Amino acid sequence: MRRKVCKIALNLILLALGLITVYPFIWMLSSSFKQNREIMALEQHLLPQVFTVDNYINMNARFNFLRFFANSLLVTIVVTLAVIYTSTLCGFVLSKYKFKGREILFSFVLGTMMIPWCVTIIPKYSMIQSFGWLDSYKALIIPAMFSGFGIFNMKQHIATLPDEILEAARIDGANEFFIFHRIIFPMAKNGISSIAIFQFLWTWEDYLWPYLVINAREKQLLAVGLKMFSGQYSTDYGALFAATAISIIPVLLIYLVFQKQFIAGVASAAVKG
Amino acid sequence: MTGYQAIHPNVTIKLVNNPWEDYWTKLPLALDGENGPAIFNVHNSYHENLINYLAPLEIPLEELQADFTGVDAHVIDGKVYYIDYGMMTGSVYYNKDMWETAGLTDADIPKTWDEMREVAKKLTIKEGDKLIQAGLNFNDDFHQNYLLGLNYQLGENLFQEDGRTPNVNTDAMKQIMQMLVDLYHTDGVGSENFGEKGSDSFGQGQSAMVIQWGHYYNTLNTTWTDINFGVFEIPTFDGNPYAYNRYNGESSFGVNKNAPAEQQAVAQDFVKYFLANDDAQIAFNLAMSTFPAKKSLADNEKVMENPSLSILSEHIDRYIWPGPMPSTMETSLKKAGQDIFFNGVDIDTALNEAQETIIRDMKSSTFQSVESLYKYAK
Repeated sequence: MRRKVCKIALNLILLALGLITVYPFIWMLSSSFKQNREIMALEQHLLPQVFTVDNYINMNARFNFLRFFANSLLVTIVVTLAVIYTSTLCGFVLSKYKFKGREILFSFVLGTMMIPWCVTIIPKYSMIQSFGWLDSYKALIIPAMFSGFGIFNMKQHIATLPDEILEAARIDGANEFFIFHRIIFPMAKNGISSIAIFQFLWTWEDYLWPYLVINAREKQLLAVGLKMFSGQYSTDYGALFAATAISIIPVLLIYLVFQKQFIAGVASAAVKG
Repeated sequence: MTGYQAIHPNVTIKLVNNPWEDYWTKLPLALDGENGPAIFNVHNSYHENLINYLAPLEIPLEELQADFTGVDAHVIDGKVYYIDYGMMTGSVYYNKDMWETAGLTDADIPKTWDEMREVAKKLTIKEGDKLIQAGLNFNDDFHQNYLLGLNYQLGENLFQEDGRTPNVNTDAMKQIMQMLVDLYHTDGVGSENFGEKGSDSFGQGQSAMVIQWGHYYNTLNTTWTDINFGVFEIPTFDGNPYAYNRYNGESSFGVNKNAPAEQQAVAQDFVKYFLANDDAQIAFNLAMSTFPAKKSLADNEKVMENPSLSILSEHIDRYIWPGPMPSTMETSLKKAGQDIFFNGVDIDTALNEAQETIIRDMKSSTFQSVESLYKYAK
């Protein structure tokens, strides 16, 4: 009986915490159907008092929403796929091959995670400028192809896979290319799912770097477009909320599809390799 | 832009919109290379970050001086890199419905601060000790709209004669700060706890009057569309001020000195076109609710239809621009006011501390006040 009460109490606490977490999102979604004066009103209501879809209809007034959305989707998918491949490859090498300097190399990879991004942004910009990559997706994709977090995560995950399977494959004549692509990749799907979700989310919401390196309006990404609603003296909150509500749909879909593997992948990365 | 390209069909201008805040991060980086924009938006608050990338305007100085107000303040070694196309300042916005309910008429529009205080009292509604409607609300913007402007009404500049030492712990500033404290704590026309921002409180129909800069006119017309508002010029202490208030300019475009020569030539020509084109000047000023710096437009019919601009026309030459002040002027005086209202610090101590902070913060700044260029400077 006591255990049951504890369980109910715990669930109620978790439910309350869940509601607190999700409430700002619900409020934003609801406010995307309100007029600006209602969003800014002193007396706040969760549901719109005057329902309007004008914010969704007028979204395109400031920028081509669908174009920006498609640009973001393209860049995010390419970066995520690249990071998955390079992280799995590096994780495989660092966990399953023994060679001189392996630990130093891994420490170096870990070190890249500890440098604040804002310290590297100006030298990175200068490099991109001297390469002539400004205003090109090369500036967004190539520097993002390797992820310290992804390599760390995949090294930890692949280390949990038994060496015996790889040895058996080698005895059967499989080369390293085959082992990586046909054995490691399928067996590492939980780890891959977790870094896929993280990387997709980070790339999708990345704002400052795309803003700095992309100039042409037709190439710009959605996260930058969302900032267009904030002007010098005021913000169009209704349109901002409407655009934001649509912009988070891909992230939600990715999470819903991969959530089981994501949780398993994060848990396995916590195991010492 | 369309008009310019119609005259010059061989020119293509590619417009890139940017988010306001981060534009000032990106712009210096872009201008540092060879592929930066040939022409770009300038705001004088970012003067120090941009001036090294600007090419001087190829317009004779005397022509600019003849046609525009405030050009002298932008002259650097005989050259001008940008000027103001419009001037923005603070005015009093009042809720006409509350005004009428309080039994006030147009004849009650105050000219002096004493009259303003009396009107504010009439507009204040309380239930017991609880404030229901503030007569005047200056929460969150007292530093911007009162402390950095009313000093001129009392004949004090914001900077001392050297143009660099702040002048914020003067008797004039203490008088203004004391008036603010008295408005809330003696007259009871508002409260530091009545709404986080005076501007929002006015829009939410909770406050009857606020002093706001010109941009607020557009905010009221786009966000707070239910408010039936009017606007009048800021009151003075004695009806005969040294200057009415501080203003700030909205700047003309900058030309990138690192751009290819032919792009620079077009950019220079475009700036001339922009400044010479009355329709463009009127459109920009109405969009920003700024008073035209172009002298020939001072009594333009379309401009006068905007009440936030027409009320300025009589005394527009009695407003001062101190130059692109470092942000510490605003932040230090804001902290001083907050210390007084929320932390019980006395006025002398708070303003002395602000003075010291500003001196310390400005050590690395190249700012030089241009208050001495004011037309009626003492």
